[in-house]
Amino acid sequence: MNTYIEGILILAGINLMAVLGLSLLTGFTGLFSFGHAGFMAIGGYTSAMLSVKFNCPFIPAVLAGGLVASFFSMIIGKLTLNLKGDYFCIATLGFGEAIRLILDNVQYFGGARGWPGIPNSTNIWNVLAFNIIAVLFLANLIRSRHGRNLIAIREEELASQVIGINVFKHKMISLMISAAYAGIAGGLMAHYMTFLQPKMFSLVKSTELTIIVIFGGLGSISGSVLGALILTALPEFLRSVSQWRLVFYGLAVIFIMISRPEGLMGGYELTPSSLKKLLIRFKNRSQGKVKGLEGGNK
Amino acid sequence: MTQFFQQFINGLSIGSVYALMAVGYSLVYSIMNFSNFSHGGVIMFGAYFGYFLLTIYKLPFSVAFIGAALLTALMAVVIERVAYTPLRERKAPYLYFIISAMGASIFLENIIIATIGPTFRTYPEIFSKTPFKLGVLSVGRLDVLMFVTSAICLALLIYIIEYTKIGKAIRATAYNIKASALMGVNTNVIIIIVFALGGFLAGIAGVMFGMKYTVYPQIGAITLKSFIAAVFGGLGSLQGAVVGSILLGIIETFTAGYLSSQYRDLIAFALLIGVLVVRPMGLMGKATEDKA
Amino acid sequence: MKRRLAYLLSFLLVLTLTLSACGQKTTTTAGGADVIKIGWMGSLSGDQAVWGQCEFDTVKMLIEETNAKGGLLGKTLQVVGYDTKGDPQEAVNVAKRLTGEDKVVAILGPNASGSAIPIASVLEAAKVPDIATVATNPKVTVMDGKVKPYNFRVCFIDPYQGAVVAGYAIDILKAKNAAILYDVGDDYSQGLTQFFEEYFVKKGGKIVAKEGFKTGDVDFRPQLSKIKATNPDVIFMPYFFKEVALSANQARELDIKATLLGGDGWPSEQLISMAKAAVEGAYFANHLDFDDPEVQDFKARYKAKYNKDVELNGYLVHDAFLLLVDSINRAGAADSQKIRDALETASITGITGKINIGKDTHNPEGKDAAIIKIIDGKYVFQQKYAAE
Repeated sequence: MNTYIEGILILAGINLMAVLGLSLLTGFTGLFSFGHAGFMAIGGYTSAMLSVKFNCPFIPAVLAGGLVASFFSMIIGKLTLNLKGDYFCIATLGFGEAIRLILDNVQYFGGARGWPGIPNSTNIWNVLAFNIIAVLFLANLIRSRHGRNLIAIREEELASQVIGINVFKHKMISLMISAAYAGIAGGLMAHYMTFLQPKMFSLVKSTELTIIVIFGGLGSISGSVLGALILTALPEFLRSVSQWRLVFYGLAVIFIMISRPEGLMGGYELTPSSLKKLLIRFKNRSQGKVKGLEGGNK
Repeated sequence: MTQFFQQFINGLSIGSVYALMAVGYSLVYSIMNFSNFSHGGVIMFGAYFGYFLLTIYKLPFSVAFIGAALLTALMAVVIERVAYTPLRERKAPYLYFIISAMGASIFLENIIIATIGPTFRTYPEIFSKTPFKLGVLSVGRLDVLMFVTSAICLALLIYIIEYTKIGKAIRATAYNIKASALMGVNTNVIIIIVFALGGFLAGIAGVMFGMKYTVYPQIGAITLKSFIAAVFGGLGSLQGAVVGSILLGIIETFTAGYLSSQYRDLIAFALLIGVLVVRPMGLMGKATEDKA
Repeated sequence: MKRRLAYLLSFLLVLTLTLSACGQKTTTTAGGADVIKIGWMGSLSGDQAVWGQCEFDTVKMLIEETNAKGGLLGKTLQVVGYDTKGDPQEAVNVAKRLTGEDKVVAILGPNASGSAIPIASVLEAAKVPDIATVATNPKVTVMDGKVKPYNFRVCFIDPYQGAVVAGYAIDILKAKNAAILYDVGDDYSQGLTQFFEEYFVKKGGKIVAKEGFKTGDVDFRPQLSKIKATNPDVIFMPYFFKEVALSANQARELDIKATLLGGDGWPSEQLISMAKAAVEGAYFANHLDFDDPEVQDFKARYKAKYNKDVELNGYLVHDAFLLLVDSINRAGAADSQKIRDALETASITGITGKINIGKDTHNPEGKDAAIIKIIDGKYVFQQKYAAE
């Protein structure tokens, strides 16, 4: 395969990993985070440390990155999950930036200058494998009792509390799984770029992830998948008009928010059965349209 | 001791710039309950407006200053109309506003890069760079001007909000937007006024920022600090934003001066998290009630 | 809603198609076997865009000139260039695109060490050589004692530059106490700081203050106030001209009178326009003397074509281009592997001095630094200076 295309696909896969996590938190639990780049950073640096300094194999290193990120998210969650509305999202923003600034000062990891020489172990196949497992796990999670509780919390937090759902606990689990996904994404990223620098995990990265989730559609896994693929590839296709691409990107974000806030998929899932339904509906409708037209002509 | 006072002056001067930017965040938050992340982009436009009025149209400084502020106010209102009004009409959740604001900020930054170019530009030298001397301490002329202008603008703003009829309407809208509408307040107009006020101050902040630190498309990133200041003081409270900004400026300079300059930003964000954990409504904010 | 979605999708699709179509046109006008494609990468946006733009313009100009003289090996040269935004991640994407999609035979740039270091693995996988312009960090070409097979450069390296400035400060300026203000987020700045400090202390000087800031900061008064309290003879400012201008201005506002020192991140027309008075009397190490007769011809050609002055990077990318052309000629074919082998033994005279590529370092060996003093807003050459 062309290395360039392959590179884009790997990046899309890495983004997708983080986006899936964020999708669980944002799309299914209703919590917004502007700090997921921070979890990616934790995962990335942990896994890089394991593989560079302790010669740990690739897969365990990446998984450990996810675990450590998840552990940190637990601490953050304990402190901030009780905050209302905007404030949780601001707290995650502060946390994400703080992680980056701390890493800037850790000379063990190369500080702000970055850390080159991480083994290049991420390839298209292991990214694909990670993504497939991640999607399957998420899909099952959402259909489970836990997943239904999460959606209940998203829709009506107070009512869920009243009927006996432990809101805090469910939010916490959701946050931890979500952070683990981001951590794994960070690990994959570290072993793909072979270079880590704290500024790779800035607020811009967190925003990008949130935008992908919204673009794909809140509460839809297939939306997130499509969103990650399209929004990672789009800037690359637009590279030849380099200076204008982010202008269009910004416009597109506003445009989506004001015209189709439910995103591409808007809560729908792309499964074989739903595809079939869609096809049938499409057929019926187009037939209907043709008939209508004929009628008009007469 | 000399260093202590010098750092204190530095902190005040940095804080006064934060304050002008922070009130913009607080004003919008008080009415619409969301963090308007496009504010940084608006400030950046203010800096460019001032720069072009001064260099291309060669206007006198005071005219360019006010002109830039008015243009920026207009700009803030346009953004509100385009990016937020449709959401408001649909009663979208606050997060859609934030995303829309972020889209606007990406757009604003990059439209400048694509059209005017990414290089930074220098304001013509309007004030001499030789400092005022107070014994061993020195204060830049521009810093004095910035501090005084900030103080006047903020005092005026607080006067408008607290003592005029429009201010009363703004406060009523901030308190309860639906009830105010029922009581005959035209909330649409109020929102436009609020954005115009915030934009006007953003224009002034932008011009002063540009004079002091040059103009470039990424100015918006700096305003994150003033956002922290607004949260620190209490989102939605004007006095809080001012106090928070001055405090943040001083804390930052003292961190850099006595601890280590590397921790300067870290302290700012640690402060943000700390405030949210201990007292989410900030120093002077009202306790937020659960609207769920 | 369905219809809106359809609109949105078709809007995006059309946008993508038209834009990518437009873009393609500019890059592949003269496709075919008679073309040698050379890649360029660097910052066209962000703080260092001034330099990146000048590099790209210089490369375009040199390629036009070469083609007008009949090209190279009977083929026309063509450049494909992309913006890295000064971002390492973007740099990797660009390197992948240049090697995988555009199939260039060699790459010129990037100018920043932070971008030049992470692209090494891409170059190795694609077996395409790269000549960095002002990426002065040692790790660009040598990592853990091993030379990177596909990375070359035409500039001197940080240890050398840091040592030159430290030596000059002690030997010629007779400085005893030095303060350092540096960018902790920048490889280049950290490298210079480290070697300046080592060398200055070794020669008997004392570092009285060492203060950091982060890329993107605009206010340095807290750090400068601290530096002022230690009363240094010289302040070393190893970072790029925008921050230099801001920090120099702020230093003078705080009434600091110490002599300012810097590295090759300084020279730019912008520095003078922003801080003429503040940097008066400052010294910095540079790659060349701007008034050297050797460079006047190039300066004039550039000015005639773009009606702008050449920035520092223009001179270095000029030499990187000469080096590449020489190597392609000696390789006798537009083949990446052969060009790489030829680069290893290259020895040319460029406008920034003699460039003898060391086989074990891929650096130009023994390049002197030029010490420049700023007098009346002009860059005045003082002397060539070499650190022991």
